[in-house]
Amino acid sequence: MPAVGRTYWLTEPCRIRREDNSVRVERQDGSPVRIPITDIRDLVVFDHVDVNTSALSLLSRSGVTLHVLDHYGNHAGHFSPAESMASAAVVRRQVEITADEEQRLAIGRSLVLASAQNLRWSLDTDLLDPALDSLNAALPGCGSSEAIMGEEGNFRRTAWAVLDQRLPPWLRLNGRTRRPPTNAGNAFISYLNSIVYARVLTALRSTPLHPAIGFLHADTDRRRNTLALDLAEPFKPLFAERLLRRTAHQKHLKQNDFETDVGRASLSKDGRKKIAALVREELATTVYHRSLKRKVSYEELIHLEALKIVRLCLEGQPYKPFRPWW
Amino acid sequence: MSPSADPLSDGAAPVGGVHITYLVHCPRQLWLYARGYRPEQRSDLVAFGEVVNETTFPRRRDVDLGEAKIDWVTTGAVVHETKSSRAPAPAHSAQVRHYCLLLERRGVNVRGGVVHYPLVRRTVDVLWDDDARTRAEDAEADAQAVIAAATAPERLTRDQCRGCSYLDYCWGD
Repeated sequence: MPAVGRTYWLTEPCRIRREDNSVRVERQDGSPVRIPITDIRDLVVFDHVDVNTSALSLLSRSGVTLHVLDHYGNHAGHFSPAESMASAAVVRRQVEITADEEQRLAIGRSLVLASAQNLRWSLDTDLLDPALDSLNAALPGCGSSEAIMGEEGNFRRTAWAVLDQRLPPWLRLNGRTRRPPTNAGNAFISYLNSIVYARVLTALRSTPLHPAIGFLHADTDRRRNTLALDLAEPFKPLFAERLLRRTAHQKHLKQNDFETDVGRASLSKDGRKKIAALVREELATTVYHRSLKRKVSYEELIHLEALKIVRLCLEGQPYKPFRPWW
Repeated sequence: MSPSADPLSDGAAPVGGVHITYLVHCPRQLWLYARGYRPEQRSDLVAFGEVVNETTFPRRRDVDLGEAKIDWVTTGAVVHETKSSRAPAPAHSAQVRHYCLLLERRGVNVRGGVVHYPLVRRTVDVLWDDDARTRAEDAEADAQAVIAAATAPERLTRDQCRGCSYLDYCWGD
């Protein structure tokens, strides 16, 4: 089902107003751009944006979410419509399933395993096979979410070390850091992860699920929507690590796309634009889906993932986390 | 939709036009709709139907019955319904019959219904007699039975799902 409307990525400082049933985007240079509200599914804001209330109420009425990313690419917050698609019947089941320790841990384990396998897939290496084997061996013994996340952390450290070998020295991660990221590589990963999180949140908003009732992350983890964090996991390697490797290989990102300080790094203006273009293109990439019998974009894959959780809640169909099949 | 929208229904879930359309098209769709999975917003076809509804017969006003929203009603109580489809389907007349039933329960002397297909400039008349009344009542009871069922009905065959906004849910494995 091709979605109505598209995502708009605002990478420059601008002002958003309402003009009849259009959103009028005024940039500092050039004439204003008018976008019909029916053409917008959501807005992702990368830079300083002024919004007024009449624009917000138009967005709300048409079910448009506005995501705000801060200077370091963290998800600073979002504005979402007053009416949500949430349904009591589904949320009730969601609570029941997540309250059942066994089911919750089983799904948490499968999420971590799938993310690890996806990471191995995206790095396209067999150097990670031993780490994957030990993760596979350790997971069944994990009796709590923290233990599962700990095992994931071990695997990720190995994976990032492997990734570092394929990056130019200035883009290496040298261990994952965030809030704020300390170097260019970490800034890139943080940025991409935030975007994936925002995409998952948008996808969840179009389902009857509650985005804060999840399986793997702690309920108050980073004070964010747990289910969105969970479902973002298997998609992060598809976007963050894979794109980092690709941009490094193609020399697409330059050192001056980042503003590096002592102990902190963020993307420069041009860097943000480059990444927005990169991600937009990536989200529109399509692959053939065998049971839907049509091409689906990466963006839709996230939506289909959210629907799997709806199926789990409504019909008890077992949840299999996303694995790339191509 | 307030719970006491229809004082004549005996406590069961109020059944609107959408419920009847979905029942005739695919019971599984009705079951999911009743449980709050409503992906129609994301469907281009549904958006197209809304535009057709807004741009044809613009002088007519909706009649809001709470659980159902009739496109418009003309004197002598004839129920009208606009469809963006190009071909009549059993679901369309079933929906009109349901509206006739709802109006009659409110004490309106209903004469019949018309389904308009503005894209092909055709209309289809829907009779309202004892037979139609029985069929409408049966459809309502069927809809309530499907909604009350504990498990979802089976999905249709793949080719019957073409154009359905629930396709991603049912087939996106």
